[in-house]
Amino acid sequence: MPLTRRNFIQMVPASAAALTLTGGAKAAEPIHHVTVLGGGFAGCTVAKYLRMWSDGEIAVTLIEPNSNHVSCIMSNLILNKRLKTTDLTFEYNDLQVKYGVEVIHDRALRIRGPQKQLRLKEAGWVSYDSLVVATGIQFDKIPGQDFRKVPHAWIAGGQSNNLRNKINRMPDTGTFVMTVPKAPYRCPPGPYERACIVADILGRRSGYLDGSSSVAPRVIVLDANPGIMAEKGTFTSAFNDLYGDIIEYIPNAQVESVDSDNLIVNTSQGSFAGDVLNVIPTHGAQNILRVSGLTGDSRWADVDPVTYASTNTLFQDVYVIGDAQGTGQPKSGHMANAQAKICADSIIRTAHGLSSYTEERLQNITTNSACFSPITYDQASWLTAVYSYNPDTGSMGLVPGSLGEAHNWSSRNFNDMFTWSDNLFADTFK
Amino acid sequence: MRVSSTITFGKLLIAPAVLILSIHSAIAEDQTVNRMIASQCAQCHGTNGYARGSYPDLGGDEAKDLADHLYDMKGEDRPSGIMDHQALGYTDDQIRRIAQYYSTLPENGGD
Repeated sequence: MPLTRRNFIQMVPASAAALTLTGGAKAAEPIHHVTVLGGGFAGCTVAKYLRMWSDGEIAVTLIEPNSNHVSCIMSNLILNKRLKTTDLTFEYNDLQVKYGVEVIHDRALRIRGPQKQLRLKEAGWVSYDSLVVATGIQFDKIPGQDFRKVPHAWIAGGQSNNLRNKINRMPDTGTFVMTVPKAPYRCPPGPYERACIVADILGRRSGYLDGSSSVAPRVIVLDANPGIMAEKGTFTSAFNDLYGDIIEYIPNAQVESVDSDNLIVNTSQGSFAGDVLNVIPTHGAQNILRVSGLTGDSRWADVDPVTYASTNTLFQDVYVIGDAQGTGQPKSGHMANAQAKICADSIIRTAHGLSSYTEERLQNITTNSACFSPITYDQASWLTAVYSYNPDTGSMGLVPGSLGEAHNWSSRNFNDMFTWSDNLFADTFK
Repeated sequence: MRVSSTITFGKLLIAPAVLILSIHSAIAEDQTVNRMIASQCAQCHGTNGYARGSYPDLGGDEAKDLADHLYDMKGEDRPSGIMDHQALGYTDDQIRRIAQYYSTLPENGGD
């Protein structure tokens, strides 16, 4: 059925009423309809939990331009061929069949807050009751960067394969040059993890790491930030000791332009040429948030972390979760999942006429982050933290003592990494 | 739909008897708050605490056992594991709420 403005609104309650829910519960007549933009970690988790926790009382339509999602989490392992993109690709079948989420493949272009309308590329303007925006990130344009020649590989999929192929073809003792974007950016440990993986790939391939060759490959890390932004102990040790002759770390290097044909990146710390160039541009919320006015003067959307509702009063019943929101919590899939549950709970309460601001709830708003970083082909480290809502400041803050990182990288951590990601993927997509 | 202090909306309606029995010590608590805070464990321990792989299941755990385990980790002199740090992220009351919530779920719900 072609999606038109009229049947978009009509089809939602009709299909939701016909659902079979998990747990043998009888499908309820929807009392509210939520439209979710974006089928990544934030969007899929909020869709699933809205359906599961409301016992079908809330109808959910998820709008996502792609037919599936390729996880950025674990995608650095595509570079060393431990994983393929297909291992990290998630369909929307479970959300549809198990939870009764309606999935529509279309691209959202604009939000009109006062009218509570949304413009889709194919369907045109449609209305929403509540809208959850979970559209992830968009890169700043760097003069001269052609993503085919100089991949970012910071949104997983074809770009990950592109970078893997380039690393595969480069000389064993060649030079790999990569950049770290200005914070806040998606996945704080990710760029440093990537540097380690590439150093490991080239160090093994050249024979330098096992001592069979004395010529070291080079991995140059150009960081726009003044220092390593996550797992500082782990990565300082890996850069200085494990890969001391391979990795050269240069802080305060702002990317100015890229020569994509000659593989040169020009920065505030000078120009660097490589056999492979991996430039990860600085990023912000997707364009739809910016053109619609959800980001204001910021790169991210300001939200209230009690609900994840936009603080812009023109956008009633609009919520922003995941990387696009600007609460200052780390931008990661794990965190996006965590925020989605707070948001889902709040939307369900609102649909039932209940406040999200009870003293009891305000004292118990927490999110957490946990992630593993591969450091070698078969060893990993980890990082973890818990954030809690502070009613006095109205913001999420790191709970003292909860921030921790692995004392060393190990094969046990490497194995745990797969258990962690398996559970996170299932809690999000299945 | 309005919720009472013990029976609440959504999935929790399915097993009110289990709920009422298990929350006798916290009769006035909003169970959706406990569900919300407990759901923060699911990223690693699976939806409703039914984990995949080697991570422990939480769903169906005895409340006292799970809470005591978390209190022990929180009390480590030198926190070293992920869970030692995670446990430090929660107040004692939050830990009690998390454990109470998982104790209301069936033990074999992940099968």
